[in-house]
Amino acid sequence: MSAGDAPDLGKAIVEAVREASAEARLVGADEVVERLRARGFGECLDTEPEVDPCRRVEALLSGLPEIASLASLSGRAVYHDPALLSRTYARILDRKGVTALLMAEEIRANSRDYPRPVPVELFEAPPFDLAPEAIEAAFKAMAASEEFRDIAFTTTSQGTVYLFSSLHLERDYATFLAEQDETFSMNP
Amino acid sequence: MAASRGGFAGKVLRVDLSTGKIGVQDTIERYEAVLGGAGLGYRVLWDEVPAGTGPFDAANKLVFAAGALVGTSVPCNGRTTITTIFPTCWPRPLVGSGHMGGHFAAKLKYAGYDALIVEGKADRPVWLMIRDAKVEIRDAGHLWGSGIRRTTLELSQEMGPDCVVAAIGQAGESQAPMGMVINSVSHSAGGVGGVMGAKNLKAVAVQGSGAVRIAGDKAEWEKLVKFHLSILGANNQHVVPSFPTPQAEYYNPASRWVGQPGRRWGAAKPPVELTGDIHDLSRIVYRTNSAAFFLGEEAWKYTVRGNGCTACPIRCHTMLRVPSVTVKYGIPDMAQNTCIALQFGRMFFKGLMAGKGGEAAIEACMVGMHLADDMGVWSNYGQLQRDLRKLYEGGYLKARLGSKEYASIPWDKYDRNDPAFLLDLVPRIANRQGELGDVLSRGTGAIFDTWSIPESDWADDHSTTYWKMGHPKHHANEDDGQCGVIINTQYNRDAQCHSHTNFVRNGLPLAVQKKLATDIWGSPDALDAPGDYTPANPYKARRAKWSLMRKELHDALGVCNWMGPWVASPRWERGYAGDDSLESKFLSLATGRPMDREELDRAGERIFTLHRALTIRDMGQVDMRAGHDTVPPWVFEDAKGAAPFTKGTIRMDRADIGRAMDFFYEAMGWDTATGAPGKARYAALGLADVGEGLAAAGLVPQDGK
Ligand code: SF4
Repeated sequence: MSAGDAPDLGKAIVEAVREASAEARLVGADEVVERLRARGFGECLDTEPEVDPCRRVEALLSGLPEIASLASLSGRAVYHDPALLSRTYARILDRKGVTALLMAEEIRANSRDYPRPVPVELFEAPPFDLAPEAIEAAFKAMAASEEFRDIAFTTTSQGTVYLFSSLHLERDYATFLAEQDETFSMNP
Repeated sequence: MAASRGGFAGKVLRVDLSTGKIGVQDTIERYEAVLGGAGLGYRVLWDEVPAGTGPFDAANKLVFAAGALVGTSVPCNGRTTITTIFPTCWPRPLVGSGHMGGHFAAKLKYAGYDALIVEGKADRPVWLMIRDAKVEIRDAGHLWGSGIRRTTLELSQEMGPDCVVAAIGQAGESQAPMGMVINSVSHSAGGVGGVMGAKNLKAVAVQGSGAVRIAGDKAEWEKLVKFHLSILGANNQHVVPSFPTPQAEYYNPASRWVGQPGRRWGAAKPPVELTGDIHDLSRIVYRTNSAAFFLGEEAWKYTVRGNGCTACPIRCHTMLRVPSVTVKYGIPDMAQNTCIALQFGRMFFKGLMAGKGGEAAIEACMVGMHLADDMGVWSNYGQLQRDLRKLYEGGYLKARLGSKEYASIPWDKYDRNDPAFLLDLVPRIANRQGELGDVLSRGTGAIFDTWSIPESDWADDHSTTYWKMGHPKHHANEDDGQCGVIINTQYNRDAQCHSHTNFVRNGLPLAVQKKLATDIWGSPDALDAPGDYTPANPYKARRAKWSLMRKELHDALGVCNWMGPWVASPRWERGYAGDDSLESKFLSLATGRPMDREELDRAGERIFTLHRALTIRDMGQVDMRAGHDTVPPWVFEDAKGAAPFTKGTIRMDRADIGRAMDFFYEAMGWDTATGAPGKARYAALGLADVGEGLAAAGLVPQDGK
């Protein structure tokens, strides 16, 4: 394996990222390097000892149109193949562990794009898998923070709590949409 | 010549129950212009059933019609359209169709027939045996009085397990306008059961050993079927899952795509775990679970599997096994259905309406399915249940029913949300027993007539969702603003159109929907976000027209309008576009006669216009705008007094709906003053004879447009 094998290396990088995406995992350049070494690309990566293999992989990744990079919360770039691991899902994975932010950003995206409020139960189910106590704690944290001032809730006539962002949905409209959502089963 | 066309079976079977005469005629020669299904049914009614014929008269005809795509491998193709003078249409019966899925339509095609036209009236109970070319009218004396399940079983035992039986229950036998016919256990067509009963026709059982020929290139056909599968979502063509998945950019908690890895069909033996990539084409069947969608999480553990129609991978008739109902109510522990029919039992009870309902609602659904699908009682899209609730809770029944009859009804069970109440109520309706049973068996119009209740009591009250002519709204302004309103003005029963709602509820973000709308209907303004409505415009009217034409086409081709049209898809790489030409591509390949999208849409328009002509003829009036295309007052009200076009209301504005109707009539090429087609419009659509007939009767607009 040599530096002249860059196209092969590029192909192997794509495969390494795809492999991780198929497992619903985001990978950084360091993990891509590890995967490449496991695939027998070690020699090829080490041909120029003065170049950090991670930097080299990062440079190659930036030229691969089929691979997307995401500026992770940790500050580093992580990669995924959007055909196997969507941007939405990638963001959820990246924010896992930062519950308030995870919920707030999901609520904001739903209010902005669809537009709709989301039932609080959404966060109890996969891939969020948050315990009710964790959700409650996140609400408390949000209520106390300026950063999440826009996150609000509305309760339907049947008692279900729906969450929305006031940046993107007016309260009355969010309430209407929540009521409508909850009665879809009676409107087949 | 019939033999030169693929897709069509080639023959129409006619059975005159009065004379016993059985004959066939060529499908292509007589009906090609109207394709089949609803189109064929309307044509038969136009040609052969005179104005003023009552639904239960021997002169009324009952047209069971499949379509050119039925019995092929096109996904979701198992629909039979049954067209007749529809008995629940009030105050006078008019043309209408009931639609059933299942396997009846495909069997009819395999037996060699595109349609079965039943005429006359037998002098005793009979059933119709169709085994390819062998067709016999047989005695049904031993079946009369039986439920649909027993009838199906007995005829299947007599004919063999590969037959499909479409039968009526006690409701049909007693000529209840609310009677339905059912094939393949759970696939029902409402409103036509009583017409079968009036003809003394208990059942039609079909065996067919033939096949449907695909005239075009077989490889192209296979490729197109694969493509179609690749753009399918879940039921109602919801193209995004209800949960985030690695494979999807978008999700929608309100999506019917509820099958998520980790879920289980818990009552299957052994239970089936949903694993792997839910986007995979071999896993489409796992996406939809109607019971879980409508009844909540608890339904998963009772799920046996999904059942459904010919060649449909969606399988929206979820089969449930709930052992507790056998112990509590003495009924079988298995039942299957979808949508309103799944929820038939639950919807009677105010206390079981909240949210998904849980265990109590599941049991009520089981009892409801057991009774309705055996006795053949139709819900009129839930109007039956809303009627009973309003009658009881509004004090109408206490005031109008005799005290003895009122006391005989177990209202205590009703008040307790006890499904055992249904064991009393549904047989009353099916057997037309007592005043309550009889009135409910005749539909909403009978409530107004019998008890002198003004129609406005219902039409003013949003909670009834009553629209007009004895029927409720079916995806109207609550889903789709003016487009939904226009669609709901057009039929003589509930509109049953899903073309529009399948699009607006598909789960994609508004910007993506608007991009697709621009591509298909010419403007992003062709749709609004729900409850954020803007004034009427020609693009919304164009989409309403498109929705109606496609509905008619689906009912003519035999594909499922609860799924199609497939103009959106789950496919990211296509920008979530489906294919607006799919139906015409399939039909061209099936028949071997190329037909582009525009030509096929024109056929849809021809069929829909024939429905309009029949309505005008049988109403004896040309002013459809004032006399037929009406909108109930509740559409123009808001409980909180919100003005039209404010965010968060579905309230419409009267003048704006007037403009919406103008745009729609213009899009249809109809006279805007009357909403009626002129002679020239009929002629342009290949219906010159129809136009001339109406002109002779003075039933075209004055200026002859
Ligand atoms: S979606 Fe449901 S009703 Fe439609 S064809 Fe499929 S199984 Fe039948």
